[in-house]
Amino acid sequence: MNDSMSIPYLIMNASGVVQVVMFILILASILSWIVIFQRSFVIRRAKRAHQAFEERFWSGIDLNELYKETPSEQETVGAEHIFRAGFREFNRLLPKTRNPQSILEGVQRSMRVAWSREEERLNLHLVFLATVASASPYIGLFGTVWGIMGSFQSLSMAQQATLATVAPWIAEALIATAMGLFAAIPAVIFYNRLSSASGKLLGKYEDFAEEFHSILHRNLQGRGTSEEA
Amino acid sequence: MARHDQRVGYGLPAMLAIGLHVLVVIISMLSLPSRDSDPTDASVVQATLIRAETTTDQALRNEDDSGGAESSEDDSESEEPSESTEEPSEPEEPPEQSEEEPEEQESVDQEAAEQEREEARQAALAEAERRQQEAERLEQQREEEQRRREEEQRRQEEAERQRQEEEEQRRQEEAERQRQEEEEQRRQEEEQRRQEEAERQRQEEEEQRRQEEAERQRQEEEEQRRQEEAERQRQEEEEQRRQEEAERAAEAASGSLDRAIAGEEEAIANARQAEEAANSFQNLVKRYVEQAWNVPPDADSDTVALVRLRLLPTGELVETNVIQSSGSDSFDRSVIRAVERAAPFREMRDLPPGAQRRFREFNLRFSPGDVS
Repeated sequence: MNDSMSIPYLIMNASGVVQVVMFILILASILSWIVIFQRSFVIRRAKRAHQAFEERFWSGIDLNELYKETPSEQETVGAEHIFRAGFREFNRLLPKTRNPQSILEGVQRSMRVAWSREEERLNLHLVFLATVASASPYIGLFGTVWGIMGSFQSLSMAQQATLATVAPWIAEALIATAMGLFAAIPAVIFYNRLSSASGKLLGKYEDFAEEFHSILHRNLQGRGTSEEA
Repeated sequence: MARHDQRVGYGLPAMLAIGLHVLVVIISMLSLPSRDSDPTDASVVQATLIRAETTTDQALRNEDDSGGAESSEDDSESEEPSESTEEPSEPEEPPEQSEEEPEEQESVDQEAAEQEREEARQAALAEAERRQQEAERLEQQREEEQRRREEEQRRQEEAERQRQEEEEQRRQEEAERQRQEEEEQRRQEEEQRRQEEAERQRQEEEEQRRQEEAERQRQEEEEQRRQEEAERQRQEEEEQRRQEEAERAAEAASGSLDRAIAGEEEAIANARQAEEAANSFQNLVKRYVEQAWNVPPDADSDTVALVRLRLLPTGELVETNVIQSSGSDSFDRSVIRAVERAAPFREMRDLPPGAQRRFREFNLRFSPGDVS
């Protein structure tokens, strides 16, 4: 009795469908936890990098120097990436056109592209978390329903319907639901947490882009007036 | 700036995630055995048929004997009465002691009272004597005064100092003598008193001694009685033990016979039980069939159908035949349908094999009103 009611025994002796469900749920749980850890690290680093970059940016450093400091390969992330994209576009467009409006438009476009890339990077795999959070309870329920179905089928064959004949089946069936919840609860919690954190970061990037755009705009206005004069 | 490790790999998170799951599994394995021990006790209540009737008490005891538990039980039974006979004798002692104590107290009290009485008597006697003595003394004084007056008169009459002196001397001598006599008397009286007191004391002592002796005798008798009782008990116990041993020996000697008798009685009991079970089974079948039977509305109360049932040992219905038709087709059909609906009779499996054989094939008589 003690042996036959332990969780490993129940899992090993479950029917095929329930075992498949359990396997899927375990896999989902492991993957969701991988995503949770990875995203947590990514977002924490992005936050730290953004703070450091903002400090550097507002320290009064020359924008050209700042641009040259960063390596030319496409490795930059976050606000730095947006800054580089905007500044590169600005530098490229500056000698080609004299119209400040078109320059600013080009800069804005390139910055929007960089921002959306950042958004994609930050929200990577968060959808998977959401999927696990919403689907795994249903998968677990499916396993439970299937197991209880099997228990009733076996009950119909048994001569005497005692609790002892039903209990293992139902326990085994309920393990599937437990696993579904086990996978879903952390997924829900961390999806909310991580998506809000990434949303906040993206908001900061947007603010930075606007500020940078206004700086460039000021710069162009000054030059335009000086050239006109 | 730490831009070189901006990309976060999946190795570390994967390891962390798998480690977390392994941890959860280990915790569940560790904590579950203790949690599982509780539901193990929650076994389903299973009622089993208990034999309602036994042939005799002896049969029961013989069964116990065959189980080998009788000897110890008998021992405990024989020991228990002996203990219970001993036990009441023991609490008798404290009251006796407590009775003796009051007796002693009473004797002491009696003695004290007697002594007091004695003393009072003595005091009264002494006072009476004193009074007597005083009266005597008064008388003597009166006499002396008279004598003195006479002598005075004589002295006055003779008026001679010498004679007076002589008389004085004589008087003195007489007084001396009287005093001596008085003293003698007093001494004698005292002697008497002393003798009386000694007598009384001796008597008291004797009384005391007698009482003590009586006490001692009583105690001794009680002791003897107690010893005798203990002896008797011990003898009785020994007797009992000897008898039991003899019985046991006899049982051992005639064990095979007893066992045979026990077996027979058990068989009788089993048969009776089987009969009982069979009766209950019959009643059950009857009840089931009655419940399942829809009596056709057009059936008369005196229509009768006899149906033969054949059952498997598991209680499954093999076939039903109408042996004696009621004459009405619908009635017969309803009867057969009732039996089929009531089947299977699972209680068949609980019957003893002998009864099962009886019920492999049996008849049921249907008539609206009752099934038999």
